[in-house]
Order: sequence, then C-alpha cells, then structure tokens
Amino acid sequence: MTTKKRFKDLTFWERLYIPVIIKGLVLTLKTMFKPKVTMEYPEVKFEPPASYRGRPVLVQEKNGVERCVACGLCSRVCPALAIEVQAAETELEKERFPQKFEINMLRCIFCGFCEEVCPEEAIVMSKDYELVFQDRDSAIFGKDKLLVPVENLQDRIDFLRKFKK
Amino acid sequence: MPTITIDGKQVEFKPGQTVIQAAMDAGIDIPHFCYHPKLSISGNCRVCLVEIEKMPKLAISCATLASDGMVVHTKSDKTLDARNAVMEFILINHPLDCPICDEAGECKLQEYAFAHSRGESRFDEIKNRKEKRVQLGPRVKFDAERCISCSRCIRFSDEIAKSNQLTFKNRGDKVTITTFPGESFDNPYTLNTVDICPVGALTNNDFRFKSRVWEMSSTNSVCIGCSRGCNIEIWVRNNEILRLTPRYNEEVNSFWMCDNGRLNTFKFVNSETRIDSCYLRKEGELVKSNWVEALEVTAKSLKEFKSNEVAFIASPYSTLEDNFILQKFAKQINSNNIFYANHIIEGDQDEILIREDKTPNSLGLKLLGIKNDISKLIDLIQKKNVKALLIMEEDLAGLGSEWENLLSKLELTIVIATNQNKTTLLADIILPAATYAEKHGTFVNFQGRVQRIRPAVETEELDRSLDGMSKSRWDKFGTKFDRWMQGKKYDAKPSWKIFTLLDSYFSNKIKFKMAEEVFDEISKSNDVFKDLDYDVIGDLGSLIKKEVYQNV
Amino acid sequence: MSIWEVIIISLIKILLIVVLMLLTVAYLVYFERKISAWIQNRKGPNRVGWHGLLQPFADVFKLLLKEDIVPEKANKALHTLAPFIALFVAFATYAVIPIGPTIELFGYKINLVVADVNIGVLYVLALTSLGVYGITFAGWSSGSKYSLLGGVRSSAQMISYEVSMGFSIAGVLLLSQSLSPTKIVEAQYGWMWNAILQPIGFITFVVSAFAETNRLPFDLPEAEPELVGGYHTEYSSFKFAGFFLAEYANMIIASMMITTLYLGGYQIPYIDKLGLNQTLTVLLQVGAFLFKTAFMLFFFMWVRWSIPRFRYDQLMNLGWKVMFPLSLLNIVWVAVLIMVFRL
Repeated sequence: MTTKKRFKDLTFWERLYIPVIIKGLVLTLKTMFKPKVTMEYPEVKFEPPASYRGRPVLVQEKNGVERCVACGLCSRVCPALAIEVQAAETELEKERFPQKFEINMLRCIFCGFCEEVCPEEAIVMSKDYELVFQDRDSAIFGKDKLLVPVENLQDRIDFLRKFKK
Repeated sequence: MPTITIDGKQVEFKPGQTVIQAAMDAGIDIPHFCYHPKLSISGNCRVCLVEIEKMPKLAISCATLASDGMVVHTKSDKTLDARNAVMEFILINHPLDCPICDEAGECKLQEYAFAHSRGESRFDEIKNRKEKRVQLGPRVKFDAERCISCSRCIRFSDEIAKSNQLTFKNRGDKVTITTFPGESFDNPYTLNTVDICPVGALTNNDFRFKSRVWEMSSTNSVCIGCSRGCNIEIWVRNNEILRLTPRYNEEVNSFWMCDNGRLNTFKFVNSETRIDSCYLRKEGELVKSNWVEALEVTAKSLKEFKSNEVAFIASPYSTLEDNFILQKFAKQINSNNIFYANHIIEGDQDEILIREDKTPNSLGLKLLGIKNDISKLIDLIQKKNVKALLIMEEDLAGLGSEWENLLSKLELTIVIATNQNKTTLLADIILPAATYAEKHGTFVNFQGRVQRIRPAVETEELDRSLDGMSKSRWDKFGTKFDRWMQGKKYDAKPSWKIFTLLDSYFSNKIKFKMAEEVFDEISKSNDVFKDLDYDVIGDLGSLIKKEVYQNV
Repeated sequence: MSIWEVIIISLIKILLIVVLMLLTVAYLVYFERKISAWIQNRKGPNRVGWHGLLQPFADVFKLLLKEDIVPEKANKALHTLAPFIALFVAFATYAVIPIGPTIELFGYKINLVVADVNIGVLYVLALTSLGVYGITFAGWSSGSKYSLLGGVRSSAQMISYEVSMGFSIAGVLLLSQSLSPTKIVEAQYGWMWNAILQPIGFITFVVSAFAETNRLPFDLPEAEPELVGGYHTEYSSFKFAGFFLAEYANMIIASMMITTLYLGGYQIPYIDKLGLNQTLTVLLQVGAFLFKTAFMLFFFMWVRWSIPRFRYDQLMNLGWKVMFPLSLLNIVWVAVLIMVFRL
C-alpha cells in the first residue's frame, strides 16, 4: 500500500494540482479512443465461463430421473430461504425423491451454497442468467423449470469436480 | 454419600449407580448408544469406554458400578483413542446415506461422528449389503444396513412393552434384527423404538420422509388419546402437525407413549372435515355465516327459551377453562342442566400407559363439579322439559342412534365443534372451536395431575410471533408471499372464548382475555386448584393429592 | 435601413439563434452521453436512429410525456416561474455574442450578432447574475430540504465565483478598452489572444465559468449523492426539461464567452493576410468561432467525466482564497503589460 501524502506534505507544484488534473484529462482522452467493451445484449449474448453462478438447476439423469434425493440440505443452508423441498418415497434404489422442489427466484441470491452442500451433485448453478418474471408466483420455479439434462450441465459439473473438495 | 472423581470433579452418587449414571447426574456427558436409563444394561456398543484409574483396561461406564474413591477420566487421550476407534468400527458398515435418512438431524451416530470420531474412514473394502425397507410391523420400517446393533429396540419390546417380538439374527457383521417367525412387530408401543433407535434404522411409516426434523417447530403439550395424558411434543411445519413425540415426564409416561396416541390424535386438526366457519340453518340448509351474525342469532334463539328449557353438554375432551366458562355461562342464564358423556372402552387398558377412559379431562370435569351423566338428559328431552341444547365439543349423535332421534326432537341445537360429525349435521347453529393444538388450557389426568397444553397451530386469531408460539426457522423468516408459509388457518376460537363472546348478549359479566385469566379464576373459586397457576404447572404439571379432591 | 428592416432582420436572427440553440442543446445532451460512454469504454446511446442520433428527440418526448408534479407544500407560482427565469436568462444572453464579423447579404450589411451593444460584457454578467434567481427560487419554492440546500449552495457558489469572474474580465477590458464584445474580439487581432497574454486570467475565468454553470467539478447544487437532485429534485416533465435546457444553454454561453474574451472570438490569426474573398473569410471566421466554442464545450464534458466533485468547503476555499487573489494578480499583470509594452 502506498502511503497517502497529506496536504501539508505536498510541494508547491503538487499543491497547484494542475499537473495532476492534466494527467487525468490525458488519461480520459486516451481512453476515448480505446476499443469499446460494450456488449449489445439481446443481439450478442454473454457466454459465461464454467465458474459462473447463474440460476440453480436440478440435474436430470439420462433416464429422465432427477439426481436429487430431497435431503433438504440445500434448503437448510440457503441463507435466503429460497428453497423448499418436500420429499416422498420412491421404489427406486435411492428411496427418496423430491415430490416438490421449489426455488423462489425472488429470494435466491445466487450464492451457490446449495450446490456446495449438495451430497449428490444434484443441484448446480447453471449459466442461465435471463430471469424475468411479471408476478411473484411465476418467480417460484418448480421441478418443471428446474430439471435440466445432465449433458447441458457437464461444464459446471467438471468445474466442480476440479475445484470442490 | 460416596463420591467418585470424574474428570477431576468430585461427584456424589447413590450406591448402585453405574459410572455413566453418576456422570449424567453431575452433568457430564459420556457418549453412549446402547445405554438407556429405562432399559437394562447390555454394554454392546462400547462407545462409553472410559479410563478408570487402577483398572488395567478401559471399562464401559454403563456397566461399571461406581464405587467410593473411583477416579474416572472421560477425556484422557486413552479414552479418546478408544472412543474414536469404536466410532470408526461402528461406521465401517454404516451406510453414508444421511441425505435420505429420516433420523438425520436427531441422530446420535451423526452427532457423535461429528463430535468424537476421527473424521474419515480408512475402510477401503465394500460395505455390507443387507435388507432395506423391511416392514417389521404395521407401523415400523427397518433398514438393516443402518442398524448398529445396539439392541435398544429388542430390550424395549422385552422389558417395557413386554411383547418379546424382536431378536437378533446371525453373527458378526451379518447380524440383523428380525421378528420371531410368524410374529409381526405390532404391540401398541412399537413406535417408541423409532424414538430410542440411536440411528435411522427404525422409521415411522406415518412420518417417513414427511419432513426434515430441523424444519419443524416443537411445542410442549399433552396427548388427548386417553386419561393418562402423556406429555408430548407437537411438531409443526407450515401450520400443519406432522408428528407427535413423547416428552419425558417420569410421573406420567416416562419416555414413552402409545402408538394410538401418537398416530390418531393429531390428524383431525388439519383434516378435510374441520369446520371452516360458522354455520346457520336457513330453510333446512346449513349456510356459511360469520361470527357476528352467528353469535347474534345464537343469543336471540337462546333467549326464546325459559332458562330451564336450555341444557348444556360439557366435554371431557375440552380443557378445564372451556368447561368452567360453560358452567359460568349456564349459571348466568339460570340453567342447571349441565351434562357430560363418558367415553370409556372397558377392558382397553394395560399396566403400561393405556387407560380405558379415552378422554383427557374427565377428572377435571368432576373436580369442576360437572357430574350429571348424560343418561339423565334423555328423560328430560323426551318429556320436553329441555327444548334447547348447547353441545360443546361432543359428538352426541355419534353415541348411538337413539341420540340422533333425541336431537331431532329438540327445537334448538347449538354445536360448538372442531370437526364435522353426526351431531353437526343435525345442528341449527355450528360454531367452530379450536382444537387442543390451537389453544392454551389445562387437563387433569386420571392421577389428578393438572397439565398444560399450548397452541402449536395458528388459527386466524392467533399469531405465532405475537402469541409466543414456538417457531421453526421457516416461521421466523417467512413472509406471506412464501408458499411454505401459506398453510391453512382455521377461523376457530377456543370454546371458552365463544362463551365469553356469547355472554356479551346476556349478562356481559364473563370477561376474560386469556386462558390464563380463566385458570386464575378457577384457582380462586375452587379449592382443589388452590395456589395453582400456569407458571406453577409448568411443563411437567402439578399433582393434586387424592385427599384434596376425594371429598369434592 | 428602415426601422422595419432592422426589426425583421433582428427577428430572423433571433429565430435562427433560438432554433439553433435548442437543437444544439439537444445534441449537447447526446454528446455528453456519448463522450461519457467513450471515456468509460462504452458505446453510448446507439439504439434510436443511426448511431443513436435521434436519441435527443426521444429524450425530449419522454420528458414532455411525463406527469408534471407540483409538490403539495410548494409555492406554486414561484415553483412554476423558476424554470422560466433560468431559461429566459440563458437565452437572453445570446443576444450580445458575436459569432462573426459584419457580412454583406442581399444588399444589407448584417452584424453577425443579434444586438451589438457597447456594454455587452456587462450585460452578460448582469444576466448570468440573474440566473441565480431561477435556481434559488426553485430551491426555496419546492418545499423540500434537498431543493433548499441545493438552492442555497447554488446562490452562495455563484456569488462567490462571480467575484473572481468579474475581476478576470477586468483584465480583458483593460486591454480592449471597451465593454463591447465585438471590440474585444477585434482587439485580439493576430495571436494577441487574451488567453496567451493573461494565462492566469484565462484559468481563473474558465474555473469560474465551470462554477457559474454548475458543472462538475463544481456541481454541488445538484450533487446527487447528497442532495438527490439538488434544486430540481421536485421538478418533473416540462419544467425539469426547462432546467435541463438552461444548464446546457449556460454551458454554451460560457463556452462562447470564453471564446470571445480569451480565444480571439471569430478571429483566425492573420487570415486577412491571405487575401481571400471576403465572403469566404467571413464564413471561415464563423467556422472558427463555432469550432472554438465546440472545443470549449467538449472541454466542459471532458472535465466532467475526468475530475471528481469538490467538497463544499473546498469549493469556497478555492473561490475566495485562490481564484479571487489570482484574478487580482491578473489585473496587476495586465497593468504591467500595458505599462511595459504600451499595448
């Protein structure tokens, strides 16, 4: 950290501030001719990297069944209480499945704790950032909207396997 | 008294106590799976090993009698090493399926694994596969893989339920629990094994997968299944009761409760048949109404009768407060006709908990001086001496077909009820009452113990925060926009409150705002309840001695 | 020329100026947004029309379509009057700014200035002083603490900086020996620009001009982080547009004044030596004036997006303890110049 000079420590030349002001003006002038970073959104879409935390989704296996066993850990760890899970019994080997899995996207803060805590790698953060609702009810995503085929999430799952302990 | 030293602390103990009991009394927790204060000692889990000076090897504290001058170390390196080793050993074949296990959150193994184990497994081989989802009995499911063979359930069925239905089968890592051939685990106390199972091997069919335990709030209350009045906790999520569990009270029910009380005394609270508003009979049909109109009509129609033409049915299902106010109201309109019905199933009683009197408060009624049996009313109705009847929380028509006929002879039937039943079908006016899970109140069990119930479920006039009801994390932070906060609330009031409201059309002298005030009035006016109030009663109740109430 | 011809010519000039001003103001807003975008590596408005060129019209329509809200506690009359004072003052000032020398058109000798008043500079100073009323009224009459604070800050700031501004101009007047803008321009023949002759005066004037127009780094009357919107917090729709227009109109005036007083006005050094056709010369000179003004406008924006806002005590310190003495020093400097070089 550079030590900050106090006013009384400045030389006369520095106290004039004019050189500094000119320096600043030159900098902004230079910036004006640099290439622009604007991405014109609806036409050009941002393709997030694997580390991006978009809306949380449930992983759907190739046979169409969700990985989730409705343990409720995501729901417990969620700091915003966005997730509600209702478990029920299934004949499958996993015994339990989420009869109801709802994420209130108005509550969700995209922290990714649910993904981190999930013991089954069943809830992951997708790359989807386009979330628009017109009323409170449509902001509550049920299983129909949350289930995403595992192929589409491979990127994120690989990322997690690499970095999640 | 003899003393022993545990972790450097001098502790007194009663002769005959084991080390673990002495430690527990002193507030020192020694981890244990198989030891249970109400069951015999089996000493097979080995997790309670402690180091005792002058003993060559570590000893299990649950089976070692404490003796004067003993020096015990529960946190020495040697003890911790042994404990970690035992935990690791138990966890070798315990599946890692906490996510799908119902016990998670109240699991002893989970807690000890967190607090006492080495944190990771060195076991590379494949875990044992055993039977899963075995239906041991009609109410209990068994998962053999999760079982750690502590034998608590076997000892419970032998020693407490006295049914000898369970046993171990096989040896070593193949050991599993099963019923005797041809037997089903179906004694009336089976679900207690689910409570005492330190892991999730035994699960409750009814509650299975309904909710995670940390999502619910729990409220101390009393079971209404019979006159034992077992102390219970009511577990609620989203304003719906999901399960009842027994609450320890040595004087009443110890650690236990019966399956019938556990499964069949809460479902009516959230059932389809709940009465959702006031009803008035208009042109032969029951029509929905509101409190103001319903109370007005009730008062007006009651005033049309002479005071002795009106009779009241008190209820042993209702609290002391409800019946007391009913009594007071009857006095206000100069009626002496207060009756009540007994609900005794003769022979349905055992030495453990179950009582043949199936109501929680029949002794309470007697102590209030409500003694007239309902059989005397038949005569009065038939002679047309009683023309109007106000029935509080009692399914009169359900008692038999003769009652159905009698009720139809009446000119006015007012019913205060929680659920639809045969009586409400015949009623002229129905006023919705709060259930035992929605109000404050007191019951007197068959021993004469006054015990409190507390609201666990919100009605429209209750508020979880303002009325100090217990809250889960969801209740604390929820808003009305969250679906998990939109559980059904009924527009019901406690019966005593209905009477106070009704009284404003008559004498306007019965004025109470809280059940607690009503009870204070009871204790002032009735010597049996002298010096009692809600704080004195507390969580465990207070006993009225037989000598006190025998003469009343 | 008959009196009627003078009136008609003046009216045409006024109309031209007003229309031009309005358009310029509209596009100034556009450029302000574009320049801010470029400085911040963005593209800026580019959705309405080609490269967003129709954006100003969209902005204006949006503003006009908004509901005109007058706060309940406001003094209705003054609340309505305030934006008009601001606008009036801003537009009236244009009358005396010469954008070119005299030109012969359709047989008439036309001054490229609406009113060639011999006390033009005084007139400008007087009118800009009036401008503070618009803002003060707006601040007081809104009945809102933010507006009031904005209004009070603004008047204090304007009064403080008018002092150094006036003294800076004194230096210019000493050299030109006239209060007429045309004369002042003519006095800066060749490279004898006042900016070169009296750099200190130039700097104090430019700084004061920034303060007078409430532009960053001196936009304390409307400092958003502290005062919501300052004096125009409670304004919406057309009245808000009025303040908006006035602010940008003031900016143009300030630029024009700087050009006229310090940058040689419409003068291109030694253009008469080239022996060009007279009309061409005039056109080039008008072009030069517009170019210089445009550069000053760009400078205004450039500074706005480069330099952060002053604290209020710093602003006052700068005004009274730095700018004021400097402008006095400038007068002495000019006096010395006149004494030594007999200018």
